Amino acid sequence: MEKKIGVYVCHCGGNISDYVDVEKVRQAIEDEGGVMLAKTTMFACSDSNQKDMVDDIKKNDLNGVVVASCSPKLHLTTFGNVSERAGLNKYNYVHANIREQVSWAHSDDKAGATEKAIHIVRAAIAKARFTESLEPNKIEAQKAVAIIGSGVAGMKAAIELSNMDCPVYIIEREFFIGGRVSQWGAMFTTNETGKEVVTRLYNDMIRRPNVTVFTGAEVITNVGSIGDFKLKVKITPRYVKEKCDRGKLQQAIDACPVVVPDEFNFNITSRKAIYHNFPSEYPQAAVIDMKSCTRCGKCESICDNIDFSQKEEILDIHVGSVLMATGFDPYTPHDGEFGYNEFANVVTLPQFKRMIELNENKLMHQGKEVKNIAYIYCVGSRQEEGGNTYCSRYCCTSAIHASLLVKKKYPSVYNYHFNRGIRTYGKQESLYYDSSAQGDIYLQAYEDALPVVTWNGSNSIVKINDILTGGREMEVEADLVVLVTGMVPRAENSVGTLFKLPKGRDKFFNEIHMKLRPVETFIDGVTIAGACQGPKNIMESVNSALSAATKSFSYVSKGELETEPIVAVIDPVLCTWCDACSKACPFDAISMTKDGTKSIALINNSVCKGCGMCLPVCPTDAIELIAYSNNEIESMIDALAHD
Amino acid sequence: MANIDPKFGEALKEYGGVNFNACYNCGNCTAVCSLSTPEDSFPREMVRLSVLGLQDDLKSSLKPWLCYYCGECTTHCPQTANPGELMMSLRRWLTSQYDWTGLSGLLYKSLPLSIIAFVLTTIGVIAFAAYESFNLETIIHFGHYFEMIAIGAVFTFILLPNIIRMWWFVILKPKIQVSFSTYVKSIRELIVHMFTQKRSLGCDDNQVRWFEHLILVFGYLALLFTTVFLDWFSSQNLFVIILGYVESVVIFVVTFDFMGSRIKKNKEINKFSQPSDWFFVIWLFLMGLTAFIVRAFIDLDILETNSWMYLLHLTVLVQWALIIVPFGKWTHFLYRSFAMYFDKVKKMSA
Repeated sequence: MEKKIGVYVCHCGGNISDYVDVEKVRQAIEDEGGVMLAKTTMFACSDSNQKDMVDDIKKNDLNGVVVASCSPKLHLTTFGNVSERAGLNKYNYVHANIREQVSWAHSDDKAGATEKAIHIVRAAIAKARFTESLEPNKIEAQKAVAIIGSGVAGMKAAIELSNMDCPVYIIEREFFIGGRVSQWGAMFTTNETGKEVVTRLYNDMIRRPNVTVFTGAEVITNVGSIGDFKLKVKITPRYVKEKCDRGKLQQAIDACPVVVPDEFNFNITSRKAIYHNFPSEYPQAAVIDMKSCTRCGKCESICDNIDFSQKEEILDIHVGSVLMATGFDPYTPHDGEFGYNEFANVVTLPQFKRMIELNENKLMHQGKEVKNIAYIYCVGSRQEEGGNTYCSRYCCTSAIHASLLVKKKYPSVYNYHFNRGIRTYGKQESLYYDSSAQGDIYLQAYEDALPVVTWNGSNSIVKINDILTGGREMEVEADLVVLVTGMVPRAENSVGTLFKLPKGRDKFFNEIHMKLRPVETFIDGVTIAGACQGPKNIMESVNSALSAATKSFSYVSKGELETEPIVAVIDPVLCTWCDACSKACPFDAISMTKDGTKSIALINNSVCKGCGMCLPVCPTDAIELIAYSNNEIESMIDALAHD
Repeated sequence: MANIDPKFGEALKEYGGVNFNACYNCGNCTAVCSLSTPEDSFPREMVRLSVLGLQDDLKSSLKPWLCYYCGECTTHCPQTANPGELMMSLRRWLTSQYDWTGLSGLLYKSLPLSIIAFVLTTIGVIAFAAYESFNLETIIHFGHYFEMIAIGAVFTFILLPNIIRMWWFVILKPKIQVSFSTYVKSIRELIVHMFTQKRSLGCDDNQVRWFEHLILVFGYLALLFTTVFLDWFSSQNLFVIILGYVESVVIFVVTFDFMGSRIKKNKEINKFSQPSDWFFVIWLFLMGLTAFIVRAFIDLDILETNSWMYLLHLTVLVQWALIIVPFGKWTHFLYRSFAMYFDKVKKMSA
């Protein structure tokens, strides 16, 4: 079909026309082949000009449009939409940048700038001669979402998706749900406990027919892409039947000779190899930890419901989107960091919080009553050395809240906060006030002179040069030193690698845009929520979970997905399957297929982003990129190079 | 190396400290204080030392006395940590530290003990009157000499040793080298501040309060002089009689105004009143009022038939001289002046 192209050259109110002779550009290109109409305009993006363009396209039945103006970052979409409004497919629009690339760059050479602008517009016209109408690729989307991790973020997202009538599979690696929050006691602001929060979410989630919860479950393979993820999930058995006699079970637990540190209490207590009693145990069923079980058989002889014959299962799950909510690990200080693993009375904040939960009337540590507690802040956060340069956000609040709980529960305790500036942002500031008002002592360390912990034979001595007292050296003899540790990514984070999720410099999963696309990842169809993305408190985790649930739902809700039509296409005749393209592809969009007996490359249209990385590596030139074909690019080069 | 003592903060609350632990060290208080200077910066430093319980630093500091409590710091405190009242409670605490008998501290901290002390002195006066068979002439004669002796004894055995202790805390213990001539040269500072409270004019909008205070000081000292040395109650000299009337009126009118402010709580300075603050203004008021009435009864010739009136005056006088002057708020008048003096001495020796 013969091309009828409309060209608009923009003054940009002087931004362009002060250095480029806009009228001369117009005259230079008006007789180019295919150009039916050439105009200049003061502001191409203005409402009135957009209206004129729509009229021009309709009246002249244009099938190609070029606007020579600013960067396509600013207005490519704007003019694409103008074409659509005039009934012309937006892929027939071509943008020419004569502001950033011409007028602003060559303000010292008006003649030269005008010459360059003419070439750029000619190149755009050359491309416009080849443009075609394109329709988005449509792919089928499985209407179901897999949520990985059942902490508050995972559960909240599950409930939200369930509300939107979307089937949910929630895959939890541990045998109990609730994540980190189940390990916390009373929390700000309501003093509701972690157990209560988790119970509430679990009860809401488990009654829903469209939510399926797997515990002891791990994703082991992932095939597919947005709309069509095929996961294999390995389910580790509990070796205990779900419905069983609690009395007998308890006897079996008592009889178990294996004692291991209890990770739920951050190893400050111990448990048996067969265990069930988390304070917020859901599902309410015991489990045998086969890593430490010696198969002595004592429990089996007491309780009929123990069943070592249970087998590992592999399930196939087919979903349209995956929502990652795998959470965080508390930072583990290295040996000797502020006396950790060196002095007996140095613990981390998570351990301390469990201590408050577990000690009823007196706060005891290693047989000694605790009177003076020194909190050392920013351990594992805001590090000069060690790599964690970020602030973990939740720790100041958490430590201060713990100090308030301690003082309330054991009034004779004194709290000393060795901080580096308190960051109890928002409503949490009131905790800081309450803690100060109750007589807690705050001491602030210089960035380059952190507190020092030494041992005097019976207690830890914490020394600091206190900023707030003019840098004077102070010391506190502490019965207990609490290292206020921040959040780090999960040590076992292989599920992220399975989905090829990009990580940030902090090693947490990375979003596409911190502000504007905060729960999407570069892997289409995979969203992130909660503290797997970076340190968050519960409120922030739940906010992101709700947002990720909505985003994931938007991929699968219609049962069909549209993707950009600009993808690579393979010429089956030329392709010899040398594998170079698939190696170059950053998105794993290229695989091998058979064309009769011949091996050729296959592009997965739902994964291909049209980046073009595969094109130059192809030795037989068998790949073309839609809308950037060799013809288009070559004719643009010709236009640019021609005098 | 300083050792932190969080218990001190709790102790200071018994001296009237209010919520000072809530301080987050922004320094607004110091910034708005019109008396604070870069060399003598307060109240934040004092709040910080109190929170940490660094008692030795507090004891050697004169800064609590350099504050005249306009209350701007409290008004501007974003944490309602009440630095103004903290400075006041530090003055009370310092008073108890300077006092070698320890009675000051007990009376500040315990209202029941203060009441017992007042009751005991009342019983003493009545017992004495009964012993003298309520003979008015003997009692007035005794009352006149009691005043002279009490002033002398209180000063010699209580106040002088306490000032020496203060001197020990602020000059000798921190090992500040001061030449004798410096002490002599600075004495002017002591006199000026004792009688005029000149420094308090540095507080914003403080002229009225300063003036009231000034005439109260002069009225009080003059009445003391008139009763003790001019023997007002027995004098026939018309000038002396009128002088006494005027002085006693000044005292009870000004203190009446002070009491009213403490009830209305319309200024920061009046919002928190400890028993010691009330005792001071009420007893000074009663002193002026009862002295005025006694002399009026004499002039109307009805004191013979109403000798209870003199007994009432004597009771107030005894309580004032034995409780409030040596152990109560009256001492601030003395310590403040000496603080200004020692401050001058320290600065000259630096």
